[in-house]
Amino acid sequence: MTRTFAVSLTIPDNEAFTAFETLGRLGIDTSRVLRSDIWIFEGDLDAELAATIGSIETIHNPNKHRLTERQADLPEPGEVWVAPRDEAPATLVAGRALPGVRAILRRTAWRLLDDQGRDVAPAVLDRAVETFLCNPAFQVAIT
Amino acid sequence: MSDVASPRVAVVVFPGTNSEDETVRALRAVGLDGELVHWSAPEALARFDAYVLPGGFAYEDRIRAGAVAAHDLVMDPVIEAAQAGKLVLGICNGAQILAEAGLVPGTGPLRRPTAAFAPNASGRFVSVHVHVKLNVAPDRVPILGGIEDRAVIPAWASHGDGRLAAPADELARIERDGHLAFIYCDRDGNPVPAPSGAALDCAGLVNREGNVLAIMPHAERDGWTFQHLDASRDAARGDTAATLAPSGGIRLFEHFAAAVRKRVPA
Repeated sequence: MTRTFAVSLTIPDNEAFTAFETLGRLGIDTSRVLRSDIWIFEGDLDAELAATIGSIETIHNPNKHRLTERQADLPEPGEVWVAPRDEAPATLVAGRALPGVRAILRRTAWRLLDDQGRDVAPAVLDRAVETFLCNPAFQVAIT
Repeated sequence: MSDVASPRVAVVVFPGTNSEDETVRALRAVGLDGELVHWSAPEALARFDAYVLPGGFAYEDRIRAGAVAAHDLVMDPVIEAAQAGKLVLGICNGAQILAEAGLVPGTGPLRRPTAAFAPNASGRFVSVHVHVKLNVAPDRVPILGGIEDRAVIPAWASHGDGRLAAPADELARIERDGHLAFIYCDRDGNPVPAPSGAALDCAGLVNREGNVLAIMPHAERDGWTFQHLDASRDAARGDTAATLAPSGGIRLFEHFAAAVRKRVPA
């Protein structure tokens, strides 16, 4: 069984803003950059998993994060996930084991919006990935 | 003390750099005029004879270690200088920036990295005293003038992202074509595993021309006798001058200084 969660900031996301600034310098036309941390849990998962990870503040601090469960362990349309190419799944979170969790995978989700708040064209997102968001020497982009 | 007659070396400071002062101190100890240049003043860089990108966490390592800095405007003149044959040394975060900028190993287009200093295999930050050994012929590293074959230099490895990572064919190219400038070793020069889990036990990469060197461990943090973890530190105890004397990792900077002087008219 697999369950996938996205954690995004509800306060200004400095990393996303830095990405936006750098992409602008590279001539990539976007008006807003959104970033989320993706957590994929595999195992015989507890029904209370969402509540459990929602209480681990290294994953989700309710004062500044929004935690949402995804319906699939794949990017949503308009989104790209960047993952380590040779990732060794973790089994612990903040030094502790979670009930039934055998493997934890992490990705960074990026989404680029235009000035109308729509996803940029796939070619623009591809260019952002190739020029900046993903280092193919050790990362892979998943769309 | 700065000497106006000395070759001028820019130590490039990004938001988040944290090793600039000790780097300047090491450069001045070997007779170079090290000077801080902030990221907001790229126009100031052209007048320098050589460049050092020091350690730290440029732009908080946002996106990836070195990635944002590699695309910063201040890197444009550094890249131009490297392409013109000037010497560029990157230490730790500076090494990560050089890899992200495509200057090392330098086997692909600029700013399209073919290798990276990726997160350590352990997932943890390491801070350990190490030795690194020259792994290529001295004539492959003209940036280190007069360095002896298989030279062993003490330093501190202090990084969370020091693991050389690249596709298998690129790793083979790095090894085959003499880009693997330094590997980790013990004090006697015997190879040891990289604390980062780096491929090839890599501690440093050099470009094809040998004028750009990216080295992960901080030689400038083992630049003075009191920083050594060996008998020389104990032997100097009680002798202020000996304790504060340049030694150990300062040799890396001495060789860098020799190379800079060779390229700068007196």
